Amino acid sequence: MRRRRKGIYSRVKDKTMPGLQTSEPGPSTESTSHALLGFLQSQSQNTLTRLYQRPSSCLSVFRLLGPLERQLVMNLLWMDSAIPASMMSAWITREGRKPYEGSLSILSKLHILPNPTAKLALNLTFKTSLRHAITGGGTSGSFGVPADRDSKHPSPSIEALDTYALERWETILHYMVSSGSGRYPNRPSQGVLLLLQRSGLMTSVQGSALQITSSGFQFLLHPPHAQLWELLLQYLHMAEERQMDLVEVLSFLFMLSTMELGRDYSVEHLSQTQTAMLEDLRDYGIIWQRRASSRRFSPTRLATTLTSSAPPLPTAGGAASNTQGQGFIVLETNYRIYAYTDNPLQIAVLNLFITMKSRFPNLVVGAITRESVKKALANGITADQIISYLTTHAHPQMRKNKPLLPVTVQDQVRLWELEKNRVKSQEGYLYTAFASQADYEYVLNYAKQLDVVLWESAAKRCFFGSIEGHANIRGFIERRTAGNV
Amino acid sequence: MKAIKGVLLTCDSAVKQILLALNEKGSFIIEDLDDYHVVIKADEEWRVRRELEAELEKNTYSLE
Repeated sequence: MRRRRKGIYSRVKDKTMPGLQTSEPGPSTESTSHALLGFLQSQSQNTLTRLYQRPSSCLSVFRLLGPLERQLVMNLLWMDSAIPASMMSAWITREGRKPYEGSLSILSKLHILPNPTAKLALNLTFKTSLRHAITGGGTSGSFGVPADRDSKHPSPSIEALDTYALERWETILHYMVSSGSGRYPNRPSQGVLLLLQRSGLMTSVQGSALQITSSGFQFLLHPPHAQLWELLLQYLHMAEERQMDLVEVLSFLFMLSTMELGRDYSVEHLSQTQTAMLEDLRDYGIIWQRRASSRRFSPTRLATTLTSSAPPLPTAGGAASNTQGQGFIVLETNYRIYAYTDNPLQIAVLNLFITMKSRFPNLVVGAITRESVKKALANGITADQIISYLTTHAHPQMRKNKPLLPVTVQDQVRLWELEKNRVKSQEGYLYTAFASQADYEYVLNYAKQLDVVLWESAAKRCFFGSIEGHANIRGFIERRTAGNV
Repeated sequence: MKAIKGVLLTCDSAVKQILLALNEKGSFIIEDLDDYHVVIKADEEWRVRRELEAELEKNTYSLE
């Protein structure tokens, strides 16, 4: 056993191992449809058309689309006249029919392809803007206006931006994780806290400090790209309430996503809404500014990868991030966990459901115990979430095992969860002492139609109905008694 | 006929026996339905859950 562990240790140190990089799929390849597309589809045609007036927005939306949709858009982009739908569908093989129709419906919901049943032609605004985006030209400044070189303050280096973005982003995640432990690391700003609370990732129980919720833990399991969009989607929902112009907000995000990393941009051409957004985006680590009143800003890697499949946070280099994106957890059949990490965030996440034993410069040793799992379950973390976290972050060496995690541990964690749910309680009313069997059956039938019966016994001539059905059942019985009299 | 407000507890038969034993000390059971179901007073639910938890805890052993 000891020798094997040593072997793993030396492998982690050797970062040039080629096999390590390929174990995890890229952030956006695993999901077929981007989270933002759903949001865009729910917007009105008017909003979308205004959005499509900006070339950078069109390019970003285009990048968010799936391969087939992109192909369709590209085919139609340079057409001057519409194509009959029958002509297009003649090219589709029988197997391709379903994905093709799916793509058409997505494009039509986005109002990129109005009315796809008759003639296929791109939305005129979208077509013009996307052509602009590809060929250049126009002076709309929709891709951002670079600031003039400032000899006094040179723009920050890419490394500095990466460090800054990572620090900001991990502050948010770290705050979520250490909530409830009583220790508070750096508090993110009020705006971020509100966002976390509104998105249901954290909740405050009776005015106490914020606590991570079950969906908050699920959030931690997602890749950074998905996390970022999840928060931004919530931001968009809140933007509507804050009376911010959604088109301005969206187009600013899209503008950021097409900017160049390591370059300064001027704030002068931003609208009022967008200037107000700068503060929020600074808090998330999406942009960097020297001072709050600075006339220029630099997008970080979080911003420039918003609509691309490149990783949003630097994976190589930087002591704090060397284990990001690859597995670091070794779990043994005796419930012991060895986590090869020095990242405080990852250690804090583990601390949610394991008991720490000892800590070394690049290794944390702990164990999954009944107490630690019970504590996690009490915080709303489920057994499945624990198992999937361990699976996602399993050390490459663990991936040789089949199944990946020891079955004993998996089963035990699930059993502990079951143990917590040994008693299920449902509020309601017990209906009993019916005058006759016919009476009983009559009322029971009615209750069954309402689908509120939780338990019944013909022998005892009684049944238990949920609390929601009580008003109806009482009304039913009263009407019946009144009718009989 | 009668309608009695309460909470329906669905549990395994071992837990059911512990509930019956607890009921000896302080009565909270309205109706003992069958091996897996019992109706208890709604406002006693959290006390019962706490006591049940303590009772189950006695039967687990930890290495710590």
